[in-house]
Amino acid sequence: MTASRDDAATPAAGRSTAGDAALRVTGLRHRFGDRLAVDGVEFLVAGGEIVGLVGRNGAGKTTTMRAVMGILHPQEGEITWRGHPVGFDDRLRFGYMPEERGLYPQMKVLPQLVYFARLCGLDRATAERRAAELLGRLDLAARAQDQTIALSHGNQQRVQLAVAMVHDPDLLVLDEPFAGLDPSVVDDLSTILRGEAEDGHAVLFSSHQLDLIERLCDRIVVLEDGRLLAAGTLDELRAHLPRRLRVKVDAPAGWEQGLTGVRAEDGDGEGVVLDLDSDVDAQAVLAAAQAAGPIEQFGYERGHLVDVYRELVRR
Amino acid sequence: MSGSTPTVWVVARREIDERLRSRYIRIMTAISVVLVVAVIVAPSLFHKPAKPAPIGLVGTSTQALAPALQRAASAAGVKVRLVDVSGTAVARADVRQKRLDVALIVSGDQATAQVREDIDPTLRAVLQAVVSGAHLQAALAANGLPPSAAARALTPAPLAVTALNPAPPDQTAHALAAIVAGILLYMSILLYGQAVAQGVAQEKTSRTAEVLLAVVRPSRLLAGKVLGIGIVGFTQIGLTVVAGLIANAVVQRAQIPSTTWVLLPSILLWFLLGFALYAFACAAAGALVARQEELGFVTMPISLFLVATFLLTYVAVGTPNAWWLTVVSFVPPMAPVLMPVRIALTHVPAWQIALSAALTLGAAVLVAGIAARIYSVALVRGGAKLSWGQALRLSRS
Repeated sequence: MTASRDDAATPAAGRSTAGDAALRVTGLRHRFGDRLAVDGVEFLVAGGEIVGLVGRNGAGKTTTMRAVMGILHPQEGEITWRGHPVGFDDRLRFGYMPEERGLYPQMKVLPQLVYFARLCGLDRATAERRAAELLGRLDLAARAQDQTIALSHGNQQRVQLAVAMVHDPDLLVLDEPFAGLDPSVVDDLSTILRGEAEDGHAVLFSSHQLDLIERLCDRIVVLEDGRLLAAGTLDELRAHLPRRLRVKVDAPAGWEQGLTGVRAEDGDGEGVVLDLDSDVDAQAVLAAAQAAGPIEQFGYERGHLVDVYRELVRR
Repeated sequence: MSGSTPTVWVVARREIDERLRSRYIRIMTAISVVLVVAVIVAPSLFHKPAKPAPIGLVGTSTQALAPALQRAASAAGVKVRLVDVSGTAVARADVRQKRLDVALIVSGDQATAQVREDIDPTLRAVLQAVVSGAHLQAALAANGLPPSAAARALTPAPLAVTALNPAPPDQTAHALAAIVAGILLYMSILLYGQAVAQGVAQEKTSRTAEVLLAVVRPSRLLAGKVLGIGIVGFTQIGLTVVAGLIANAVVQRAQIPSTTWVLLPSILLWFLLGFALYAFACAAAGALVARQEELGFVTMPISLFLVATFLLTYVAVGTPNAWWLTVVSFVPPMAPVLMPVRIALTHVPAWQIALSAALTLGAAVLVAGIAARIYSVALVRGGAKLSWGQALRLSRS
């Protein structure tokens, strides 16, 4: 980790970790009136991989996803699927969960799933079988003949996910799939998404919940004001953080104050947390600590996505 | 499409299934069937052919008047059945018990008509004329005129009546048929047009459109919706027309306008044309709204136009051959209501029907093209309600 700063994940390094790119977004640019909603966004999603889109409201996540789904035609940029520009028939193999949910409120749950499956080209028998199977997996079997509007928010969300998955798509595009759900539903849906990826499907999803993205995603794409801030695995993204040491020395506080290029941060818990400038040798810090007293703890802190995100947005 | 079922049909099937579940549609169908059957059957219930009035002729001198009475009655268009009665008491009892309407007693100069409450004025005039005639004939005979000459003098040639401006025999029935055809078409087109607008608005406001348009081309989604709702509407109006044809066959002898056989099938044709024209416009309207509540406002111009067209039906029945009615029956948005109204009211040349149908179909294709473009741009557009002008500009860019 110490030497990783210089070849840090840059926007261009949206490398796939799991095989060839299935979905590739390049140079996406779209303007609504005088507002640039996305400006040069690019990333890729491989089969068997979960990629998370991170960014605050208006960062361009939804615009990007709608462009992938063909609901919005971007003014510039290219979106390819397995090497060719995404066409209409490719999208029949995509599953989509929009940010603002879209279900027929009056329709019963099972017929609703069957309908969407048939629109994607499944015959009636297959559609019915897949829909029933999926309702079982999502703990909704008992609600199959209920009107969708009669379901709780969490259950409607499950139905929406079921609509996205009912035709066994190769790519799932999920816009804020976890918004407003209680933790147990989040866990259930997370397990299902992991399962999809393990089956070789590509998953692209957006969320405000950075801890969830961190836990679930193989790679992360960070957007801000329509621009790509960073993309890569969490480890690659951590390279954007200053090196951070946690040191506990049996010595009076302030032993580190003489070191140049080292800043003490508000530590929580044991010892002190030190951010190191890029030219500081960690060995010098170790030596200073040893000189101060017996070392009880000395090691790099592994930053969380939330730290990376704050750091990226701060710049 | 990898499946064998075309997307348009998958979409249409859902519309049909969802609508058949609605009780509203079933009630509407029942109402329109009952309305049409009632209009066809009712005249035959109210226009019972008049039964001949039973008239008792009391005594031989009265009975001698039977031939003259029969002649006079048929000349006056009054149906009578003459019954010989032996005595006054029997005749009175028969009148009381409604076996007779009138008991006529003529003896010498005296003539009495016994009735229950009152006597039909025409029948009274007929009886009076016959009695007066007999009296006059007796007086002439008493003064030496031979009975045959007296009889000839008292049997005038029947009055010949020539109508300068004869009314068609069943004008009221024609007017009623025209109004019912107008109501049926106006209501069906409005109802099913609104159903299209509502369906589109619901998909837009519930964001279902967002999920749909990821996998369905807008033109196919629109076509499927219009097709599905159109099939439901056509079935409803078809049931109504079939019920009407059956009722027509059953009461054929009654006063059914001769045009009914042509009118009922042409209602089906004009529903198809009218629905096609209005449904696409309604779909575009539905795509403009941001909230379901705005739908009434957006579709108002369409509804008002249709209502105004329908109201012209009431003017039309008074002036079935007016030049303006002929003109508006060729104007596409009005033709689907007013051409069938004309067909009900008067003889419309086949070429006029064909031309008007072709114009309406052409207009429907034109409107469908514009509506599909508005629909495509407006359906997944966020933000406030679009005006028709904004939508047209967007659809061109």
